[in-house]
Amino acid sequence: MSTRDPFDLPQKPKARAAAPRAAARKRNTAVGADAARIAVVLRGFAEGNYDGRVDPDAIDDPGLRAIAEAVNGAASAVVEDLRQAHQRVQIVTAGIDEAIEAMIRLVIQGDLSGSLRAGSTDTALTPLIAGIGQVMETLKKFVTETREAALQLSTSSAEVLAAATQNESSTSAQASAIHETTATMEELKGASHQIAENAQMVAAIAEQTLSGAKQGEGAIKAFMGSMEKVRHNAVEVDDAIAKLSKRVERIGTVVEVIDEIADRSDLLALNAALEGAKAGEAGRGFSIVAAEMRRLAENVLESTKEIKNLITEIREATHAAKEASDGNKREASEGEKLGGNAMASVSGILSGIQETSDAARVIHLATQQQRTATEQVVQSMSEIEEVTRQAQAGSKQATGAASELTKLAERLAELVKRFKIE
Amino acid sequence: MTGPASELILFQVGPRTFAAVVHDAIRIGSVRDVPPEELVLETALGTPSACARGIVVASHDEAVELTLVVDQVLGTRSVPEEQVQPLPAFAAACLTSGAVTGFVLLDGDPLLLVDLPTLVRERATAVPA
Repeated sequence: MSTRDPFDLPQKPKARAAAPRAAARKRNTAVGADAARIAVVLRGFAEGNYDGRVDPDAIDDPGLRAIAEAVNGAASAVVEDLRQAHQRVQIVTAGIDEAIEAMIRLVIQGDLSGSLRAGSTDTALTPLIAGIGQVMETLKKFVTETREAALQLSTSSAEVLAAATQNESSTSAQASAIHETTATMEELKGASHQIAENAQMVAAIAEQTLSGAKQGEGAIKAFMGSMEKVRHNAVEVDDAIAKLSKRVERIGTVVEVIDEIADRSDLLALNAALEGAKAGEAGRGFSIVAAEMRRLAENVLESTKEIKNLITEIREATHAAKEASDGNKREASEGEKLGGNAMASVSGILSGIQETSDAARVIHLATQQQRTATEQVVQSMSEIEEVTRQAQAGSKQATGAASELTKLAERLAELVKRFKIE
Repeated sequence: MTGPASELILFQVGPRTFAAVVHDAIRIGSVRDVPPEELVLETALGTPSACARGIVVASHDEAVELTLVVDQVLGTRSVPEEQVQPLPAFAAACLTSGAVTGFVLLDGDPLLLVDLPTLVRERATAVPA
């Protein structure tokens, strides 16, 4: 649909008349001026200026006059409406300000126990007041929940602080214990090392002792062989002494015979000398021979006496040798018994040393494993100590944070307490 | 020795040496060969200790032989008679035994001269067999 300018009047054909044409031109010029005045007023309306008016009496054209009058009426109506609207806006604005001010005042005072009372009864404010009431209720609920939450938060933060403090204390104690345990494990590591070295030394000594004991076993065997030889030799010596003793006894018997013969010879010589002496000078030679015979007999007796002395000495020596030989046999037998006992003891010692050597070797192996395990434990304890140190630092931070949280919770509770909701 | 001499038998009883004329002794024997009852141990000369020899002496009746036990018979010696002295009367009076008849100097040492038959007779008288 095309728009048509209401002031764009249709043009009349030129052929109708020139005079009228001029009159018409003149009339048109006046209408145009009136319309222009009306247009100026309307443009003012369009620009929000409703003060302009069109004087209807100055307009010749009745139509434009009516339009002017209508424009003036519309303008007056609009101005009136605007005045009323402005007045209403002022009232509503004052109510809103009052409500907001009341709400701000309540919020500032923290008193959420009452309800908002607006001074304006404008119906337009009803939704606003209702909304503010809802906001107040919501705020009251929020404050109530916040208070409960603050209380719970305070309680929880206190518990968290206590737990964090306890945790920090426990962590410190744990760190201290771990540090001491680490130090102890370090000492244990050193001790394990020392034990391993000692066990190795014990194993070496046991090996040496085993070797020495085996040599001792060989020496005891040689000793027992020597004892057997000594006993055998003592038996041979005993037999030789017995034979010697028999020979000596035989010699003694022979000497006794010789002595008897010598004694008889001496006696015979004495009697010969006696008879020679009785014969006087005639028996002188006989006496000399008898004396010579007697000297021989005495020499024999002297010799047999020496032989007897020698035999006596030989008997004593033989007896002493016999006793010594018997002693040697007894000592040899005792030595063999002692050697047997020593052999049994050395065999036991060898067995014990062998077991000791095996045990020392096992201990050495075990202590090496223990040392390795201890080193691993020390490494693990160092890592645990580091982790514990970090946990201790974290625990301190947690304690600080919990303390700060507690303060904040207390602060929040204090702040929330400012709001009165009942 | 040019002059007359005495043939003596020398013997020991205990530590002392005595002399007797050879004719007083029948023979010299061994003590162990003589029965005990014929042995004369204790006399005025003392008691022998070794009891090695026995001097067989005829007793007073000549039928019985007794054996004087001595420690040792040293032998016989031919001694000049001037070295054989009778026992002084005072000494003989002091002695209880009549068997000691004198003394003889032998190598400068005086030895009692003993009458063996008297000695064994005194023993036989003192101790009845």
